[in-house]
Amino acid sequence: MAHTVAAELELESHEAAADDRVMFGFWVYLMTDLLMFAVLFAVYAVLHGNTAGGPAGNELFSKPLALTETLLLLTSSFTCGLGMIAARRGNKAQVLSWFMVTFLLGLTFLGLELREFSQLIHEGHTLSSSAFLSSFFVLVGTHGLHITSGLLWMGTTLVFVKKRGLNRHMVRKLSLLSLFWHFLDIVWIFIFTVVYLMAFV
Amino acid sequence: MSKKQHTNTSSNGEHGTTSSYVVGFILSLVFTFVPYYLVTGHVLSGSALLATILVFAVLQMLVQIIFFLHLGRERKPRWNLIFFIQTVAVILLVVVASLWIMHHLHYNMTPVTREDASKKLIEDEGIGQIGGEKTGACIGTHTTHKVIIKDGRVSPVHTDAKACDMLTFINEDDATREMTFGTHPHHGVYAGESELSVRKGRPQSITLSETGTYQFHDHLDADAAGTFTVEP
Repeated sequence: MAHTVAAELELESHEAAADDRVMFGFWVYLMTDLLMFAVLFAVYAVLHGNTAGGPAGNELFSKPLALTETLLLLTSSFTCGLGMIAARRGNKAQVLSWFMVTFLLGLTFLGLELREFSQLIHEGHTLSSSAFLSSFFVLVGTHGLHITSGLLWMGTTLVFVKKRGLNRHMVRKLSLLSLFWHFLDIVWIFIFTVVYLMAFV
Repeated sequence: MSKKQHTNTSSNGEHGTTSSYVVGFILSLVFTFVPYYLVTGHVLSGSALLATILVFAVLQMLVQIIFFLHLGRERKPRWNLIFFIQTVAVILLVVVASLWIMHHLHYNMTPVTREDASKKLIEDEGIGQIGGEKTGACIGTHTTHKVIIKDGRVSPVHTDAKACDMLTFINEDDATREMTFGTHPHHGVYAGESELSVRKGRPQSITLSETGTYQFHDHLDADAAGTFTVEP
């Protein structure tokens, strides 16, 4: 009896060390991704005044839309956190429902962003209209691509959770996913401030 | 039993509880609505507003990092935290240095006309002579003439000055004045300056390096207009 408890504890500490390693590896990826976003932000900050005679941000952007998008992402970040708490408690039903809410909020965000992009393009404000719009579409579009891949990742992970249940491996996957999701939220906060709010200063 | 206890202790240290997530969520909402209100409500303006909303973005980021990412609560050694701090340092270097360099590039490469641009540079940098030839730049301080703008009117309406004196626009109204030269709606250039943005409590000065009589006005409010004569 004592032997099995010791073995179990050893296995547990191995697993915990593996968790830490995987977490750190993913964290390295996130930080390099953050560096890429920082460069895109720098480009936007430098070029946002170069509108080539076209309209500037304060004529193109909608403040209420940007606020709505921000609230959607903040709420999804929150529900994602609640999903993680459920995952650590091993509550499969709650995990599925919280992450489903997160998924839907993310999908709504993506829909709003795509609608904004298509409206801009429809009005003739495209990627190639000016340096300002190039840097805008690249910065916000790169974030949107991350959201898209996050949604794909979340969708497939949820299918696996539903089919195979919550094991340690699955909880680790979910915690990486939630890290990614919170990270995208942080990047969006700066897009909200630097791109949308500052256009009206 | 032992396993259950172990997972419990680790989840208290490293991960959040429902209440910490709720607190984080409420804080993040506050840090979204306050800057949004500041921008839409025109409570502040200009660089004060800019600085305030940036501070709120950083606060928002800290909330996300502390309450949602739980950074700094990992087991020692805290590689994640160390790596994060490194990344932030690199980001600050890249972003701040790029903006700084590009600002100077922009400043040096925005000609109004070639002559005006050179004139402005000569004045701003105080270059007294180029290749043994006097540039006519004003070096050192001379008399300052104040032009006060209040209730949409300029006083005094006319200013007499000597070359190289300073003319200072002081705005006592809440609205920002876009002072430009010539008569409305034309925009003239005086001594390399085409427009001066004068806010309340932020006087703007120009050096009177060109002689003659000139007109100036607020581009947004043509009634706030006046003249000045610069004698050699």
